[in-house]
Amino acid sequence: MNKLLKFCSLVDRANERIGRAAAWLGLLAVIVCAVNAVVRYAFNLSSNAWLELQWYLNAATFLLVAAWALKRNDHVRIDVIAGKLSLRAQACIDILGGLLMLLPACLIIAWYSWPSLVNSFHIQEHSSDPGGLIRWPVRLLIPVAFTLLALQGVSEVLKRIAYLRGLAPYPIEQHRQESA
Amino acid sequence: MSLELMAPLMFGGLVVFLLLGYPVAFSLAFTGLFFGVVGMQLGLLHPSLLQALPERVLGIMANSTLLAIPFFTLMGLILERSGMAEDLLDTIGQLFGSIRGGIAYAVVFVGALLAATTGVVAASVLAMGLISLPVMMRYGYDKRLASGVIAASGTLAQIIPPSLVLIVLADQMGTSVGDLYEGALIPGLTLTGFYALYVLVVSIVKPAAAPGCPPEARTLRGRALALKVLTSMVPPLVLIFLVLGTIFIGVATPTEGGAMGASGALLMALAKRKLGWDLLKQAVESTATMTSFVIFILVGSTVFSLVFRGVNGDLWVEHLLSGLPGGALGFLIVVNLLIFFLAFFLDYFEIAFIMVPLLAPVAQKLGIDLVWFGVLLAVNMQTSFLHPPFGFALFYLRSVAPKSIRTADIYWGAVPFVCIQALMVTIVIAFPGIVTSHVSKAAGAIGGSAAEELRRQLGAPAGAGEAPKDDAAAQIDRMLKQEK
Repeated sequence: MNKLLKFCSLVDRANERIGRAAAWLGLLAVIVCAVNAVVRYAFNLSSNAWLELQWYLNAATFLLVAAWALKRNDHVRIDVIAGKLSLRAQACIDILGGLLMLLPACLIIAWYSWPSLVNSFHIQEHSSDPGGLIRWPVRLLIPVAFTLLALQGVSEVLKRIAYLRGLAPYPIEQHRQESA
Repeated sequence: MSLELMAPLMFGGLVVFLLLGYPVAFSLAFTGLFFGVVGMQLGLLHPSLLQALPERVLGIMANSTLLAIPFFTLMGLILERSGMAEDLLDTIGQLFGSIRGGIAYAVVFVGALLAATTGVVAASVLAMGLISLPVMMRYGYDKRLASGVIAASGTLAQIIPPSLVLIVLADQMGTSVGDLYEGALIPGLTLTGFYALYVLVVSIVKPAAAPGCPPEARTLRGRALALKVLTSMVPPLVLIFLVLGTIFIGVATPTEGGAMGASGALLMALAKRKLGWDLLKQAVESTATMTSFVIFILVGSTVFSLVFRGVNGDLWVEHLLSGLPGGALGFLIVVNLLIFFLAFFLDYFEIAFIMVPLLAPVAQKLGIDLVWFGVLLAVNMQTSFLHPPFGFALFYLRSVAPKSIRTADIYWGAVPFVCIQALMVTIVIAFPGIVTSHVSKAAGAIGGSAAEELRRQLGAPAGAGEAPKDDAAAQIDRMLKQEK
């Protein structure tokens, strides 16, 4: 179990680093988008590459932050019933949910995204708009993000098993943030 | 098992899985995949169905409307921490303080002003709860009135543009964000008026519940007060122009408006020397995690709806809802009751991502105007923030309210405002004109249409003229109507 918990803390730290770093890409997206709008209005210039960069950056942010958000328990739950259960029961739900819901879903999406990535790389797929960006880097984000999410899912399951066996504290840091 | 049974089973399964309390995004995705695999095993679904998944995810990534979510969130978080709300409340409170119920009016007014600046409920409620609530308690306001008016005014951010709810709804219904913004403007302002009216009624019926402040509470008077009011109004008005002005005039898309607003907020915080490294880091990280979980719910619901449509679930829902007695009106009443009820348990984005894709096609088939339908749902969903016991506005207020205010006071204080909300839903159903007469139909269809062009031309003088910035949009529309 100790080795497994070491694996957990490795995954946790890696995903936290990736998440914190990716968050800044969101700020970059804000700046790119505002500059795009101003430049288009002031100089009547617009570039598809810069317009596409906005969503490339935003996609990278929300996909790469997802695993860290799972660790922070930021993903919204409907806790009308579950909130009233004991911590042990909640841990059981999260173990079952992690193994039966999260893992299969992530792996299926990652698995199916692979062929289109390989294909896109081979044909050097570009955006259909003139001057648009090359596509494979954003396609690569899908399998990468869902694999990271799956790893974090495994870590969350292991931490809860450790908790049930009395080897570790309850793993949730409580900080619910605004929903609007 | 036949195909007809799959859709009801799938929907039932979704309810059960969601209630287990595992994160919504993954419960949705799992329900979709589970029934997808079962359907393939039974030969009801084509094996290639799930291969469409990566393209769907890519579609969400490339969706430029959803880009507005992180932009407006970042803007709200930066403003919350740079103290704009505090300045406004202090000065407007002084301005209205001496009349009966004055601070309550100030809260309603500042709530509307903040709502037109950002789309974030939490920021408004926290700021008003921290600043106005203690003041109201000190001068003997009724606890329920004080907490109710703060929570309700905070939720105005959900209906007055630029609201995140409207962005998400527009995306899910396939209408333009700009049209929804314009449609929601009058209902949002009407609602603000109703809140103020409620304060007025209380101050007449129960004068002790909403007293005026004694003269010694006003530290500023005369010219000093006037100056302070003017200076504190400048930042929100500039931001409102940056965001709403550019959107309504047609210079910027809502997404760009969001980026302009966020940049403006950053510059403003920088100018006030409030933008430290820690603040920026916190705001950027909170924005990223919030965006991530909201968009992941959309990813989950996309997986669900891909399979749900595969088993003809959309036809099932349509059959269920279009067969209601009373046609379109019957549909509207049932849908609104359903959403009102669901709002007790679900957040607005859960309703928007799960329910709206099922409801919008039926509404369209029944000949219901989607912009009007969207505004109607938005007003209805606004209550999800006010519903005891799970309303978020109430949670936020509880977290900053002094101990002397019991949770029961906050709950009871919200009840009259939930009733006002229900009244507003009825009014929007009864008088569609307050939404639709405001929105030019042609503008919704094609971006470069004549009306949009006209608006752009008319917009320039109105925006540059003497008129207060937040009235610019209304003025453009008046001019537009005269042209017709």
